[in-house]
Amino acid sequence: MTEAAANNSGAAQVAALDNLSVIDALRRGDEGAFARLVDQYHPSLRRVARLYIANRAIADEVVQDTWLGVIQGIWAFERRSSLKTWIFRILINRAKTRAAREGRSVPFPRFDAAVEAAEAAVAPHRFQPVDHPTEPGRWTHPPPDLGASPERWLLAQETRQHLQSAIAELPEHQRLVLILRDVEGCSTEEVCNALGIQETNTRVLLHRARAKVRAALEPYLKRV
Amino acid sequence: MVSSTGMPCQELVERVSSYLDDALPPAERGRCDEHLRTCAGCCAYLAQMELVVSALGELRRSEGEENAAEKARLLDLFRTRAPHNRAPRERSVPLGIADAFAAPGDHIGYLCEDDQEFDATAGFLAAGLERDEVCVLLGHDAANARVLAGLERHGLPPYDMQRRDRLHTVSGQQPTDALLREIDVRIRAAVDDGVPMVRVLGHLGWEQPRWPAEREILSLEARVTDAVRNLPSVVLCAYDVRWLSGRRLLLGGLECHPLTLRRAALRHNEHYVAAEQFLARLSADV
Repeated sequence: MTEAAANNSGAAQVAALDNLSVIDALRRGDEGAFARLVDQYHPSLRRVARLYIANRAIADEVVQDTWLGVIQGIWAFERRSSLKTWIFRILINRAKTRAAREGRSVPFPRFDAAVEAAEAAVAPHRFQPVDHPTEPGRWTHPPPDLGASPERWLLAQETRQHLQSAIAELPEHQRLVLILRDVEGCSTEEVCNALGIQETNTRVLLHRARAKVRAALEPYLKRV
Repeated sequence: MVSSTGMPCQELVERVSSYLDDALPPAERGRCDEHLRTCAGCCAYLAQMELVVSALGELRRSEGEENAAEKARLLDLFRTRAPHNRAPRERSVPLGIADAFAAPGDHIGYLCEDDQEFDATAGFLAAGLERDEVCVLLGHDAANARVLAGLERHGLPPYDMQRRDRLHTVSGQQPTDALLREIDVRIRAAVDDGVPMVRVLGHLGWEQPRWPAEREILSLEARVTDAVRNLPSVVLCAYDVRWLSGRRLLLGGLECHPLTLRRAALRHNEHYVAAEQFLARLSADV
């Protein structure tokens, strides 16, 4: 086992124990535990609901419905997945149903079809051609090195705006996977469980989404 | 430069995302490491990608909007609607029969006396299927056939619903412990999948081939109430007063269900007997 994997499994055990005590607390009716859960996930749930439903009031209703599902379902919850995955799964179920009811076509059921067409992460003209005699596929226009203060760039208001417009440009499947994984901090496994898609396809969608966001941000990364 | 292991830059950029997530097979990861040792362009690409992924994570941290009113509303929901709350629950689940509403965790004895009332039980399942709930049907063959035909008339083809795991039929031709367990498993599996509510419809097979004996069915009915009390489910058991003996109506229909549905009215049932007491009496009653 690599060190990273060992750390991960240690973290997973701590998370599993946390889950257990939170679930027991919720079953006992511990309001503090519920309030902490709301603090932890409510903003994420709202953002994900809005990926499915543009109307904010309706998206918020879906989130409230999700919490009701958590409240009423907690005794039946079997812990086959983490509490977090379960909450997101409830949300995504409700959001899809509601989006369909609102007459919006739901592009999400056919995730696996969305990964078929191959797309290059970086435009091919930035590399030597594949039949180049000595350096096939080598950078001709490599990205520039980062500057001395990437942390400042990371926290800048301007960066947020660039990121948000790059995210908005993504195809819906890629956007959903990127938001769950990189913005909301779900593990790949949690993303697969919440969306009901295979790991390979999740990775392909995530890779393409990240590549596009990086490409969109590249002009601003020169000076950081 | 193309390294000795032969990975071109153009291939490396396609693996960067999985590389960052530590999701590459060891051999492939090794080839990437090898390439990165000598390629400044790819190192710059990797650094940019890492920075972008960190920046995406920052979006979450800086975006937590506090909304005190909303939080108060959710806490109120927790206080009033959670199963630990022993006060009468809000009746939020449309039964699909007359205009009655039930609460999650209810176990209802439905006293029906003609074909129309009998057929209305399909409406109970249809109302759930239309709300994306999962339904469980536990009935003898003749009753099941009528209920499934009823669903078809509601525009909910049973075969389609079964294929999509929205409708399950549970066989009554097994011991009651196994039966109760199967229903419980169905409910929990649906909740795990994020389903909002599970409806269980019972058309119990009294004296049907290979069904449990009367005493066993009565003990099942007595135990169902506590088994589902904390679960997001509504259990409706049909008691057709035209054919059932007085003993089955009294003990099964009235003493085992905290609520009864008769004509359009869902009522608290004063004849209900707590399971422990009921079962003690049942076992003493030879």
